[in-house]
Amino acid sequence: MAENSSRREFLKRSAALVAGAALFPEIVPASSLGRGGYTAPSDRIIMGAIGTGSQGTSNMNDFIRLKNAVRYVAVCDVDSKHLANAKDTVDKANGTRDCRTYEDYRELLDKEKLDAVSIALPDHWHGIIYTEAVNHKLNVYGEKPICRTIKDGQTIVSAVKKNKIIWQTGSWQRSEPNFHRGAELVANGRIGKIKSIEVGLPDGGKGIGTPPVKDVPPELNWDLWLGPALKVPYRGVSHWDWRWILDYSGGQMTDWAGHHIDIANWGAGLEHTGPSEISAIGVYPPEGLYNVPVEYDISCKYANGIEMRVANSSRLPHGMGTTWYGDLGWIHVDRGNVIYASDPKILSEVIGENEIHLYKSDNHWQNFVDSVRSGKQAIAPVEVAFRAISIALLGEISMTTGQTIKWDPEKEEIIGNPVASRLLSRPYRNPWAIPTV
Amino acid sequence: MKTRYLFLIVLTGLLIFMPACKTQTSTKTHDAYKTLIITGQNNHEWKISSPILKQILDETGLFSTEIIKTPDKGGDMNLFNPDFSKYRLLVLDYNGDTWSDKTKKGFVDFVSNGGGLVIYHAANNSFPEWKEFNEMTGLGGWGNRSQKDGPYVYYKNNQLVTDTTAGNGGSHGKRREFLVVTRINDHPIMKGLPVRWLHGTDELYSQLRGPARNLQILTTAFADSAAGGGTMRDEPILMTITYGKGRIFHTVMGHADEGGGPAMQCAGFITTFQRGAEWAVTGNVTQTVPFDFPTAAGVVLRKDFKEKTIDEALAEFGTYDIGKSTLNLTCLQNYIRSLSGDKAGLLSIEKKMVSILDNKESTLEAKKLLLRELSWMGSSYSVPSIKKLTSEAELKDEAEFAIARLQSAN
Repeated sequence: MAENSSRREFLKRSAALVAGAALFPEIVPASSLGRGGYTAPSDRIIMGAIGTGSQGTSNMNDFIRLKNAVRYVAVCDVDSKHLANAKDTVDKANGTRDCRTYEDYRELLDKEKLDAVSIALPDHWHGIIYTEAVNHKLNVYGEKPICRTIKDGQTIVSAVKKNKIIWQTGSWQRSEPNFHRGAELVANGRIGKIKSIEVGLPDGGKGIGTPPVKDVPPELNWDLWLGPALKVPYRGVSHWDWRWILDYSGGQMTDWAGHHIDIANWGAGLEHTGPSEISAIGVYPPEGLYNVPVEYDISCKYANGIEMRVANSSRLPHGMGTTWYGDLGWIHVDRGNVIYASDPKILSEVIGENEIHLYKSDNHWQNFVDSVRSGKQAIAPVEVAFRAISIALLGEISMTTGQTIKWDPEKEEIIGNPVASRLLSRPYRNPWAIPTV
Repeated sequence: MKTRYLFLIVLTGLLIFMPACKTQTSTKTHDAYKTLIITGQNNHEWKISSPILKQILDETGLFSTEIIKTPDKGGDMNLFNPDFSKYRLLVLDYNGDTWSDKTKKGFVDFVSNGGGLVIYHAANNSFPEWKEFNEMTGLGGWGNRSQKDGPYVYYKNNQLVTDTTAGNGGSHGKRREFLVVTRINDHPIMKGLPVRWLHGTDELYSQLRGPARNLQILTTAFADSAAGGGTMRDEPILMTITYGKGRIFHTVMGHADEGGGPAMQCAGFITTFQRGAEWAVTGNVTQTVPFDFPTAAGVVLRKDFKEKTIDEALAEFGTYDIGKSTLNLTCLQNYIRSLSGDKAGLLSIEKKMVSILDNKESTLEAKKLLLRELSWMGSSYSVPSIKKLTSEAELKDEAEFAIARLQSAN
């Protein structure tokens, strides 16, 4: 009872902040404020999780690990086994048995009073559920890539802008020191003027042939898993491996765009724009249920003359990771705290007080929590994530059509190609529709 | 009697059908390169492999291939004395007795003067004592080859290694599928091919050694120890060598089993063989990459060694069902992509797709696949046929999907 009462006060404060935000649009409303380093349990950010498979659970654990930061109260999944595991994780963390479970995200969004949700779903669901969550004025920690189509992405971005919530994309490399350092050196001209960028993403792997129709496991609501995607019979592939099927994902290329392309854009100052010309080839498996390109090579030209190449790592001299080439040298960054440069001296350069200091975060999940409390934008905002995935999605359109795509990065439109433009969106299966913002 | 009659019908059908395919696949713009496959002795099934190699080469329309057999093992090699100078390309499917000095000289002259040569699989085992020949193969195996014959050459941790350690040349573990990785992307033979692809079950030749002069390693495969006999090195699979003015393409793949087997039926083996042979003749490759070139996703076998044409794919398209191969769909998608937005070409293929869509015999699953493709590349031509399908319960979703998308940017 006491908790309920303090909770009401808490939400009232949030409402006041929302009102304030209308007067000062640059201040994004936060649902709670930390005081003096101590957060009362009631002031913890109340969270729900939608999608509790491997990545969803990993995100939940990353949030739970933060000291006195969040309290999960509800979880949602179309797989009852995932759901039971997620409830167990939450209940253990809370020391209670009251984590609520939902199969249908709509019910969770309507019934729960939350400050934030962490969402980790197959890409084909992102357009609807991200937009719905944002329309419910929830702060969102959302997995990359933020959309399966350009149109979905545009909808999500406008929903975030309109509702002024805090958005954090799961592009956690931004909160790793080597990526930050590499991007900051590049942003401050330590390798001169950027000429080109190479982004190496994973090679595609082995397929599974053409499996027959199988019984849907009793724990899985297959129709709800498919949601807006075309109805197909279950063939033994759902969790995790959805990313090798074009209906739900673009493969490694789109899965990793939100990491290494995002980092490339960060350093080169391309976070809020896009290429003007995209030309790509994809190597598709000749047969099999897995039909995403297993190799890909995208060349992008920017209006400012920068050229970016995004390819499966085996095609690139530096392999996996991001390499910026300037007229004075190059810098390469990759996972595992990898950073090296054409001249090691570049890496010991000091960034002066009056130079560019890129947003710094040491923990991606803490950064989201801090942003929700402070109202300050998180390190991986939605528009930036959209710009990163756009490159892969436009590459996908180029490789599907066999054409070079001309793109207007301001209007976010394909120029002079109505046939290719059809691939900017993917119609939803009835009764699903992209929510209005 | 009945069986024979049926056979005749099938044969007649093939004869009628074949010219149509030929016109579509032929890239012939000049007289075909006269090619000679040399065989007749081998520790491998040369009676199987040589006719297949001939078919593979002639299929491109670039080569006109003859097969010559040497005398049997122990026979009088003086009887083997072909006039190599009549040919543009020699293909060696031979591992046997030493030739006469005259024939050896003719062979060396042919290559030195700019003739093309293809070394196929066990041919690199032959003639361990013949210096010039080993310079042409670059690397060889077995036949008591050792450090006296030259270094081992391989990749280790992505570095090219020339290893003079003492030891025998030539080994292979148990046959298995293996991943072929490109080392020189921009070589004419490799241009446009996937940089990683699975090869059909084959012997993974390892520990080859030889003079290795003027040698380029185009692809390697990792000889893991799991299959036994693995060297844990990335072993050369495709190589090029220059000798005098001549170009040599060396493939260690293609161990022949009955019907060719997976090593010879592999679309990757076939394609690289065809491309390597053309490069050996001209230094260039004009052949396009086939739609069924394998990838890291899985092996692709061609039972008949031919690339399927778009018309063949469309003729079978209407029988697609879940669990069956999607090769015909990939062929169609590749064809659409190759049109690069050409309106007339798209409309022409669209009409063929719609006729499959309209056909009552076509399966539901085939129609669903077509509706997905038509949704973006179709035109108003498709719309009446698609609209009709919106009233069919099983196709309603796909038909509405296609209509919605076709109208999204018009």
